[in-house]
Amino acid sequence: MARDDGRNTLTRRRLIAGAGAAGATILAGCTSTDNDGGTTSEGLSGAIEISGSSTVFPLAEAVAEQFMKDHPQVDISVKSTGTGGGFENHFSRGRSQFNNASRQITDAEEDMCADNGIEPLELRVATDALTVVVNNEAEWIDCITVEELRQVWSADGPDTWQEINSDWPDETIERYGPADTSGTFDYFREEILGEEYNHSSDYQPTEQDNLIVQGVQGSEFAVGYFGFSYYYNNPDSVKALAIDGGDGCVDPSVETAKSGEYTPLSRPLFTYAAKGALAEEHVAEFARFYVEQSGNQELVADRVGYVPNTEAAVDEQLAALETAIEDAG
Amino acid sequence: MDEQSTDSAFAGVSRLRGQVFAALAKGASWLGILVLAWLLFMVVVDAFGLPAASVGWYLGAAVGFGVPLLAYGAYIRRTRPELGWIAVRSTVIPPGGLVLAGALFILFLVFEPVHWLTYYTVGVLPAVAVYGHFASREDTRAPLFATAVGVIGLGLGVFVDAALPVKPMPWASLVWVLSVPAGAIIAWREATGDRRRQATIVGLTALGGVLASFVGPATIGVTPDTSVILYVAAVLPVGWYYGHVLAADRSAWPGLLAPGVAVLAIGLGITLGDLIGATGPDPVLDWQFLTSAPSTIPENAGLFPAMVGSVFIITIVALVSFVVGVGAAIYLEEYAPQTGLGGTITRIIRVNISNLAGVPSVVYGLLGLGLFVNLIGMGMGIVLVAGLTLSLLILPIVIISAQEAIRSVPEEVRQASYGMGATRWQTIRNVVLPRAVPGVLTGTILALSRAIGETAPLLMIGAATTVFRPPTGFASQVSAMPLQVFYWSFHQKSAFRELIAPAGVVTLLVVMLSMNVLAIYLRNRYEQQT
Repeated sequence: MARDDGRNTLTRRRLIAGAGAAGATILAGCTSTDNDGGTTSEGLSGAIEISGSSTVFPLAEAVAEQFMKDHPQVDISVKSTGTGGGFENHFSRGRSQFNNASRQITDAEEDMCADNGIEPLELRVATDALTVVVNNEAEWIDCITVEELRQVWSADGPDTWQEINSDWPDETIERYGPADTSGTFDYFREEILGEEYNHSSDYQPTEQDNLIVQGVQGSEFAVGYFGFSYYYNNPDSVKALAIDGGDGCVDPSVETAKSGEYTPLSRPLFTYAAKGALAEEHVAEFARFYVEQSGNQELVADRVGYVPNTEAAVDEQLAALETAIEDAG
Repeated sequence: MDEQSTDSAFAGVSRLRGQVFAALAKGASWLGILVLAWLLFMVVVDAFGLPAASVGWYLGAAVGFGVPLLAYGAYIRRTRPELGWIAVRSTVIPPGGLVLAGALFILFLVFEPVHWLTYYTVGVLPAVAVYGHFASREDTRAPLFATAVGVIGLGLGVFVDAALPVKPMPWASLVWVLSVPAGAIIAWREATGDRRRQATIVGLTALGGVLASFVGPATIGVTPDTSVILYVAAVLPVGWYYGHVLAADRSAWPGLLAPGVAVLAIGLGITLGDLIGATGPDPVLDWQFLTSAPSTIPENAGLFPAMVGSVFIITIVALVSFVVGVGAAIYLEEYAPQTGLGGTITRIIRVNISNLAGVPSVVYGLLGLGLFVNLIGMGMGIVLVAGLTLSLLILPIVIISAQEAIRSVPEEVRQASYGMGATRWQTIRNVVLPRAVPGVLTGTILALSRAIGETAPLLMIGAATTVFRPPTGFASQVSAMPLQVFYWSFHQKSAFRELIAPAGVVTLLVVMLSMNVLAIYLRNRYEQQT
């Protein structure tokens, strides 16, 4: 700043005052901020935090995006933390109102929530069809039985394809799959291997579906498995195997999973809402929206790549949700 | 060097060794440069959708873009080579101003102009006035009084802010907070001693701000407050520079045509390209990408909330790490005991700080999680926690670079200052710090560039993968550019992996490189002064 003397300050002051007064006169009465002019249908506002499964994350993100179009004042943040990580670090400590889960909540996790006075409400939001994939060049295989699949993935199992099925080549099996922190791993182990077998440790574990795909693309004798969404969005990258659960070979698809034919690898996907938080209008409204959208074919199947809920299932979930909202309110 | 004697005394052997070594060193540096250039090239190709355009388009664009620029360059070189720098500067100032406008826009989006207005009026302004008053009387206590007034004013600001009966329009606040001080700076630099002219300049710039708030919405359809920011950051500097050049030398006008020629060249390039090749590039990184929220539909996806989040976090990191880091460095270099038992402790601390600089960033993420979230109980993944965690991460680097800069001030200068009877504080304030500033600033800004690209610590403290709106305060959930890029690069849709992620990378790199350019600029400026 320049040094001041009396006369100069006067002039400057006058000028500023003049400019200010001019502005003030023109704007007499206009005193609000104008940075977001979106008026909402019900004027909902507030923050919502969603944590949990990386499998359900794309669905939660799509639902949140749709919701914010109707309610621009509601601030939603979605975190991809893994099912268990979300329960332990976010949801059970009251740091998130929703936790996505690719498996059901465990007793230990329920206890953790109860310790902090949080009551989880289970909402089923979609169905996933776990997809077993092989290399596009693998002409020798199109379909695999559950028993063969168990042999491929069990610890201390056969080393070559031929040991499982004599029609298959005498080559070493290369396995790529999700790491043991993932809900997908838990589900696969439970459904295919059961109690008496351990999951093979002779495989490349990773948290990222596209790394599994890259591994499988690298060898004609590789095999991998992951959630349906990735395969649905990249159907040409690898070849999905049909699964024979005892009633013939069934390809993984939105239709077969919806009809229940694709067993045992179709699994429910959940989100858990904190019952206490449903007392707040914007959280309750978002929970309703989430459940309604779970039946939306365009959003769940076409945009994300999971299997939408049937209408009956949506209504059933909504009824349970309304009860919980009334209890909370 | 006497060539003949070396040739006869040392035959080719020793020389060969040296030449091989030089060639290896050269090869190594070129390898590094080429690998980086290749990576950047690949990312840029994806981000701007260059393969979509035909060869004809590129030929046309090259001709349309190159001819005017080459012609203008040749003209300047042949007739008025001394105008070269003016041409370069006048071309750089407008885009630089636009970048600055973007940064200001984000800043005022996060902190509403009304808050700036209060704190500026009751805190900053009185402090500047007090400083000016005492400095004009050659009173050495000026900084002390000014700081005291400023701190008290900012404290009062909290109450004033809460008690404001009416809220002035954002653009009016911006005129007061931005365009008046900008006018004051120009007046002070351009019209030293001429009071009347100074007052006129300030008045006119303020008036210009008011006018801009009406002109902007009417002509280019931006909000009044955005147009005030554009006016102060982009229009004013250009006007100032042009006026400055023309006032010094009327005949220098050809040098000022450079930006016009550049705009003409770009326009001509695109037009010619479209005429010849029909299909132009299909950029992913466009205005829509920079101003939209993330989306599950690739065409609608954008980086805006993450960009604002990154800028917000970096602001906190800059403040915290600069104050704490430079303070610690001054203490360790100038005040801490250097001998005896105390000296041993100082040495141990120094070694530990150097080691901390090498600790992996994930560990700092865990530290932030344990310290700020679990122990102090701040929210998970909020702006403040992200900022403080990244401050911890770069603190050792800032301290070490500041220490180096302070240590590089020659001991003789200090001794001379003491010999003149100066106290230790006067020596540090008047002799050591001014000489150390360039080094300190460079080190700090380079460390900040590292912080802006960190992903792991943010994952650890639970920063959101996706947010749809920019943060509005210190307790907002935040996402940052590297997090968003990390998520996109593993997305199940290939468009995200192959197009959107590279666009995010390019944006992040542009922001980071701008920060580095700022560091180099500041450094050069200070070095010229000392």
